[in-house]
Amino acid sequence: FVEERSGVGSVLREYGSEQNLLSKPDGSASFIQGDTSVLAGVYGPAEVKVSKEIYDRATLEVVIQPKVGMASVRERAREQCVRETCEAALLSTLHPRSSFTLVLQEVHDDGSLLSCCLNAACMALMDAGLPMGRLFCGVTCAIDAESQIITDPTAQQEKESRALMTFAIDSKDCSVMMSLTKGSFSVKELQQCIAVSQKASERIFQFYRDSVQRRYSKIL
Amino acid sequence: MAAGFKTAEPLEYHRSFLKENCRPDGRELGEFRPTTLNTGSINTADGSALVRIGNTTVICGIKGELAAPSTDAPDKGYIVPNVDLPPLCSSRFRPGPPGEQAQAASQFIADVIDGSQIIKKEDLCIEKSKLCWVLYCDIMCLDYDGNLLDACVVTLLAALRNTQLPTVTINKETDLAEVDIQHKRHLQINKHPVASSFAVFDDTVIIVDPTAEEESLATAIITAVTDEDEQLCAFHKPGGSSLSAEKLQDCITRAVARHREIGRLIDKVIESTKASK
Amino acid sequence: MIDDAGGTTLVRAGSDHAHSGHCFAAALRAPVRSHRLAVAALHRLALAGPTSSHGARRNSATEGLQKRVFTATRRVKMRETPLSNCERLFLLKAIEEKKRLDGRQAYDYRNIKITFGTDYGCCTVCLGKTRVLAQVSCELVPPKDSRPTEGIMFFNLELSSMASPGFQPSRQSELLVTLNRQLERCLRNSKCIDTESLCVVSGEKVWQIRVDVHVLNHDGNLMDAASIAAISALCHFRRPDVAIQGRDITVFSPEERDPVPLSIYHMPICVSFAFFQQGTYLLVDPCEKEELVMDGLLVIAMNKHREICSVQSSGGIMLLKDQVIRCSKIASVKVSEITELINKALENDRQVRKEGGKFGFAESIPKERITALKREQAPVEMKDIEETADEIVREAEAPSEAVHSPVIVATGTGQVGEGLQNTWGLEEEDAEEEFQGGMDGKEKKKDEVMVISDSEEEEVVILKPEAQKSKSRRPKN
Repeated sequence: FVEERSGVGSVLREYGSEQNLLSKPDGSASFIQGDTSVLAGVYGPAEVKVSKEIYDRATLEVVIQPKVGMASVRERAREQCVRETCEAALLSTLHPRSSFTLVLQEVHDDGSLLSCCLNAACMALMDAGLPMGRLFCGVTCAIDAESQIITDPTAQQEKESRALMTFAIDSKDCSVMMSLTKGSFSVKELQQCIAVSQKASERIFQFYRDSVQRRYSKIL
Repeated sequence: MAAGFKTAEPLEYHRSFLKENCRPDGRELGEFRPTTLNTGSINTADGSALVRIGNTTVICGIKGELAAPSTDAPDKGYIVPNVDLPPLCSSRFRPGPPGEQAQAASQFIADVIDGSQIIKKEDLCIEKSKLCWVLYCDIMCLDYDGNLLDACVVTLLAALRNTQLPTVTINKETDLAEVDIQHKRHLQINKHPVASSFAVFDDTVIIVDPTAEEESLATAIITAVTDEDEQLCAFHKPGGSSLSAEKLQDCITRAVARHREIGRLIDKVIESTKASK
Repeated sequence: MIDDAGGTTLVRAGSDHAHSGHCFAAALRAPVRSHRLAVAALHRLALAGPTSSHGARRNSATEGLQKRVFTATRRVKMRETPLSNCERLFLLKAIEEKKRLDGRQAYDYRNIKITFGTDYGCCTVCLGKTRVLAQVSCELVPPKDSRPTEGIMFFNLELSSMASPGFQPSRQSELLVTLNRQLERCLRNSKCIDTESLCVVSGEKVWQIRVDVHVLNHDGNLMDAASIAAISALCHFRRPDVAIQGRDITVFSPEERDPVPLSIYHMPICVSFAFFQQGTYLLVDPCEKEELVMDGLLVIAMNKHREICSVQSSGGIMLLKDQVIRCSKIASVKVSEITELINKALENDRQVRKEGGKFGFAESIPKERITALKREQAPVEMKDIEETADEIVREAEAPSEAVHSPVIVATGTGQVGEGLQNTWGLEEEDAEEEFQGGMDGKEKKKDEVMVISDSEEEEVVILKPEAQKSKSRRPKN
């Protein structure tokens, strides 16, 4: 399976999502990329703590729960990335002085976890019906020892890679909303990875559209 | 009048300056604040440096300790960075456990260390699976006025270059470590990463080296870390407004120029201390 | 106590495996108790029995205590929507009429679904809408001094804020402590896992088995769901094989040697009973709404050999001996059903793995739902990538060669950039003069190296001549 992939270089593993699978949250979704799986739950708009209240827009809180142990500094950094990406996509000024809470639970990590988190987050926000100015999706690219670009790497490929980049791509003009990198790489490699992610994002946005269409097929 | 305008409509106030291609403190859009570097600021640490970018002041102390390497990597030492944002540096930080910004900064510094291989962790190993160095890199902000990450990376690099560790040998007969304080060695610095931060205003205007006020009004922050070979060690953009690949390229170009400036500053300062010995 | 006849009109929630329990429930029917026992203050009910509490009769203090119990549970659910009086009365009335909101019988469980992940020791359990994720992991650690030959079991149940808006992360709520304690009593104190087999080198290295249970959706009866998830995950788990040669311990990767399962003696499972109207009515597997109106809760942990591993009663109601016995009889039936289900799920997973079929959570996405969608592996167009990247890099301006050159203000201190607002006790002119005075005869020198600079400022390097002296004094430091 791995050999078959490395020949092609650039594929997205099979991916899928289920929305509205939890009864408690206002919006929920699971997103699966290969074996990597993330569950997301959204609450909001809800009452906000006075200390966190913002007078002209809603407060967004993001929590990423690792599967084993407590959330560490790494999760904090990821939370910041997901939160600021969602903040840019959400029209939070429509709900001033209220709170949105997004909880992401890692269900299985087989590489590209952050991009899976972003995709699950976007699906859950859509399910919760929160007002959004744009959609976003996450794509992870790895550069292996032979300077080949691998999209949506598995945990094994991540481990063997020389550099690892995760981008959040905007649905409006396919530009970069978020970028988090590991390892060192050249400027050209960065630009190539951005271009690959933009190409890959088209597929995921198509998937978003298809799943929304499927979901409302009975009503429309 | 201007002060009132600034308080009432901070965003409009900044916009009116940006329209004229300048900023409230008189800088151009692509201009960094003056950067001052002092090394060897803390006598009790094995290495230290203090950096001031405009008003942002950050100090870094390096402390080496001996420990046993972990079983999964018996030939590697440890580098443990920590960024502290105490309440003294700004009223926005509260006492207690580190907040999100401090934790994110610590993770960023750890990523830069790993990504750029400033120091090869193998160099910190003294005896395989027996003894290695742990480098505690404690970075503390003394005055917070934006652009924390740039200051942290400069101070970390300068402090590491300033660091001298005693030579340690393992006595074969007694199997105990012997520390020779008389003979100190500098660390082998592999790469020289320098960070450059940018703020995006109104999804379009990019300015470099934002102050705290500019950071709070900006719609996105970008940090690019480059090394001397014009390789990128980190390209960090935690969300915010989206930018095209061309705009990001401009940021990288500016970061490369900034690297030359800071690289030379650190070289000069280290040189001057060496000359004085 | 709950008449079956009343239940026949109800539509069953579609639980297919709880039917046998339903039949058993009919046989266990008991006369409705007319007399009520008073609730004695702070009387924790264990198996001790109700005899000790006969003295305390029903009085106004009873109501007071009940209120306290409710405020205690309310405090946990801060942002939770409170239950209105109407709802409360409706629920209690329905229970009196032997009806449940979801159409279940009194002794019915909701549907249980167990799914295993790709990793060993990972499973999700759905109990109706309640959803729990468990993951078992292991680590080599030094043993406890008091038990040098035993491995360590560690349980950690987390109430994720995803499960309910009332759950605050990183806050030790009363509910959290109770659940964690109950899970430990059920799985650790029952000695269902052979901890001695987890010893690698006596007194030096043992396996620590860590069970993380995450509550993902709270719809009542978290305890049963958590215990099912934890024991299923433990049964599913495989730890790496180890070999000891002298003092060296080698841990084998799964590729080198097949990982080994834990040795499990028996599988304790918790069964919860909710009591209403001071014990008149009893329901198995209460949902969240029912938990909000219940007076007391009895949790019995039992294995399929009908051995009771722990009994815990909370909420402060008095139970009669035969009530407890009846509950334990119901529990024994439920436990054997659930054990069978877990074994079936484990067997299924084993079979699929052996045959090399697809397994894991990706396979558990339902295909027939309109809320779910799946796409096959898809190639990414790589054609113009290189050209696009090249173009962007080419089009960008080259980084300017001209940069500010640094100024060395004093030994070990340098500055780059114009002296704007940087007042660090080294104001350009003043500082220089100060240094000149203080450290006699500092040399001012133009820097020739910095020719690339386009800045018009004077580049100044101040060197300390006395430093050179000290260098000659101390040969090498």
